[in-house]
Amino acid sequence: MAVRLPEGNLQDRLERYLGKFRDHHELEEEEIEGNVVRVAVKPEDVPAVLTTAREALNILHLSFITVVDREGSFDLTYELLDLRGGIVKVKTAIEGEEPVIESVARIYPTANWHEREAYDMFGIAFRGHPDLRRPYMWQDHFDHHPLLKSFEISTKRTFEGLR
Amino acid sequence: MLQEERRHRTETITLSGRESERLSRPDIRDEFGLETMDMNMGPQHPSMHGLLRLILELDGETVVRCDPVMGYLHRCQEKIAENRMYPSVIPLTDRLDYFANMHNEHGYCLAVEDLMDIEIPPRAEYIRVLMCELMRLASHIPSVGFLLLELGAFTPILYGFRERERIQNIFEAVTGARMMFHYIRIGGVKADLPEDMPEKIWNYVEDLEKTFKRDFIDLIEGNEIFISRTRGVGKMSQEKAVEMGLTGPPLRCTGVDFDVRRDYPYSIYPELDFDVVTDEAGDVEASYRVRIKECYQSIRIIKQVLEKMPEGAVMADLGRRLRPPEGEGFGRVEGPRGEFAVHVVSDGSDIPYRVHYRDPSFVNMQLLQEIVPGHYLPDIMPIMGLVDPVSGGWDK
Amino acid sequence: MSAFVNALDQEPWRFIISLLAIIFLTLNVAAVLTFAERKVAGYIQLRYGPNRVGPRGVLQPMADVLKLFTKENLSPGRADVWVFLAAPIAMFIPAAVIWMVVPFAPKAVVTNLNIGLLFVVSTTSIGALGVVMAGYGSRSNFSLLGALRGAAQMISYEVPLILSLLGVIILTGSLSLVNVVNNQAGGFWHWYIWSQLPMFATFYIAGIAEVKRIPFDLPEGESEIVGGFMIEYSGMTWALIQASEFASMGLMSAITTTLFLGGWQPPFDFLDFGNFNWIWFGLKTAIIMFTFQWIRWSVPRLRMDQLMDFGWKFLVPLSLVWLFVTAAGTLIIH
Repeated sequence: MAVRLPEGNLQDRLERYLGKFRDHHELEEEEIEGNVVRVAVKPEDVPAVLTTAREALNILHLSFITVVDREGSFDLTYELLDLRGGIVKVKTAIEGEEPVIESVARIYPTANWHEREAYDMFGIAFRGHPDLRRPYMWQDHFDHHPLLKSFEISTKRTFEGLR
Repeated sequence: MLQEERRHRTETITLSGRESERLSRPDIRDEFGLETMDMNMGPQHPSMHGLLRLILELDGETVVRCDPVMGYLHRCQEKIAENRMYPSVIPLTDRLDYFANMHNEHGYCLAVEDLMDIEIPPRAEYIRVLMCELMRLASHIPSVGFLLLELGAFTPILYGFRERERIQNIFEAVTGARMMFHYIRIGGVKADLPEDMPEKIWNYVEDLEKTFKRDFIDLIEGNEIFISRTRGVGKMSQEKAVEMGLTGPPLRCTGVDFDVRRDYPYSIYPELDFDVVTDEAGDVEASYRVRIKECYQSIRIIKQVLEKMPEGAVMADLGRRLRPPEGEGFGRVEGPRGEFAVHVVSDGSDIPYRVHYRDPSFVNMQLLQEIVPGHYLPDIMPIMGLVDPVSGGWDK
Repeated sequence: MSAFVNALDQEPWRFIISLLAIIFLTLNVAAVLTFAERKVAGYIQLRYGPNRVGPRGVLQPMADVLKLFTKENLSPGRADVWVFLAAPIAMFIPAAVIWMVVPFAPKAVVTNLNIGLLFVVSTTSIGALGVVMAGYGSRSNFSLLGALRGAAQMISYEVPLILSLLGVIILTGSLSLVNVVNNQAGGFWHWYIWSQLPMFATFYIAGIAEVKRIPFDLPEGESEIVGGFMIEYSGMTWALIQASEFASMGLMSAITTTLFLGGWQPPFDFLDFGNFNWIWFGLKTAIIMFTFQWIRWSVPRLRMDQLMDFGWKFLVPLSLVWLFVTAAGTLIIH
């Protein structure tokens, strides 16, 4: 019934997390900095990495998914908390104008709305998402994704003169 | 049989997206030949929290499907933030969770300071924590009032707002504004406390501690009607709560003791002595108890902060133009509704490349579509009181 | 002076004066009660309540009435207009008519019906009809839910309400309200509240449910179904519904007073003011009304299933048991 939260020394735990990731997956980058384990993986590996985190490492909490539009590619950061001081950041980058990535809503059900938000704001399609609707913008007849860098807004203030 | 079919139907509805199956197949009937009733709650509903619309499917008074629709207050804060210089994003964060603005400012400033590696003067840290804890009081107390208002008791909300009003008076004296403070700045706080302020705050929290039981506990906690309306309503297990990514009182009322202040310490919280309040039941009543006890903890923290408050500057010397190095910064604070996190990405210019807010209202509200089906229509409102979302929070 | 009062006591004048008083009362009790309600709410909630129109805000009801008269009377496009418009009348008339049998003072009763209690009970039930008409007529989901709730609630609480009257009827041996009051003469210890305390509690609670006030205001339930059956009403039709609610609240207090608190009977014999005993009646009624308002602003609302449970599983058995006790006691004493 009760949820089991991790115990023990934080550094050992972080080492264990990273070791497990290293054993099971191909990591492009890896790093431990403070209480953060940062790993970068290929986009198709993300569900597998998060499954490892959830099932094998018992990291319970998906805090947020950040998408950054790098104009041509998208950086995704999945921030996982083990609720006891350890942070795991899973980073990935997807290319393309119409990016698609596997949904993690089946692993972390809370990702449901985070992914909906990312879909709404960036147009990233999450394959296998249970309910991919736009939470904020109009559902019909609105084909823009406002957080894309290509979406211009009229009140841009660049402060060019001050620079 | 009916239950089975209904569950199957709700599953297909959530899976197939927006179209209710009943809409596409209008001839669907349950075994009594009765059809369900669609109902729109909100966005203009007197007791809905902010501008939320719930699409409900009712079978009699039992909710079969609940679908929250957001976006009525969406301002795309993150886009606006991408077009402002770093310090000018702070007033925008005030508009996120407008019931607990200090925490938003604090989270954003922590993120930028993480990005730039700024050292904050100790007095500024103490003032920040002082303000945030006052803000927590000013948010939790009316939240209890809202819960009671949703149950039909009109009076507690006014008592709650009286306390909020007094705290806002303190804020007004300190920051110059009652709601949109713009007080916590990158590198410190805007101004030092007025000279008599520590004493005034001390007197206020002493006074609050004395009258708190009389005003917010005595008539509520043992009230038979309150208990029968809230006990077992919105009941969820710890797994469910963790699975839905809940934080804050909705998570702690199930018994998972997670508090960003303790587990991911920021500012001066490691030096302070406070308890993380949890409750076992995981229903609306438990969330009420958690909020009430957290108010006592906040009072405790405020007293410690006032006792330990050092002298000194309140603002680091940063210069007028902030131009952080390329990189990423994270800030995470425990707001009254849960974990408020900010992720700032910089490209080396004086404008943030990307600001992402993780607002607890947004995440916690996922709970609605999970636990409301099966409850009676009047139970929706107490469950909203359990989650206690704020419109500006979920709509960013 | 006393000759004049005696002249008023004679037959045509007595009837005319009491009739005028009742018409005046019915039309104004709502206004007075809204004002009282808002003031009481204000003081309970640490604020002033209305205090702008007139001295201490006493003219606020006037301003309200003026506003409501000048408002447009909207009805929804899909509404069943006749049912929609007839509903407030169907709610108001019963609340007004019942005052006829309530004795205000020794001789101030419009008609001394010998089936007074039966009249009261049967006419109150018509109120449920108005609620259903309003809910059905406005063709809104919210009002439909409110109407169904209202019908279920009022019909269910009719049962304990009537059962709790039976004890008084046994003790009095009459259905006439005048006889009920007369039988309670001789000081406050003769009032039926003492021998019929459980019945009084049942009647009081069922009365609150009957007039749809918190904690039993489910048909309105403004935090979930936004006013329920009256959601689509505006202007004068809404005012009429409000008036009928407040009039029936006043009525319920008056009947509680009459049945259990001795009506116009003074608490001690030496405080007998003769024809001015309506002061006692008014005072007791006002106290009951105040307790209604006090409860209204202090407790939350029940849920429908809990309401039904409470009515059928607690109030009905309680009143049945005490009915048995009363009957047995009466048999033994006589």
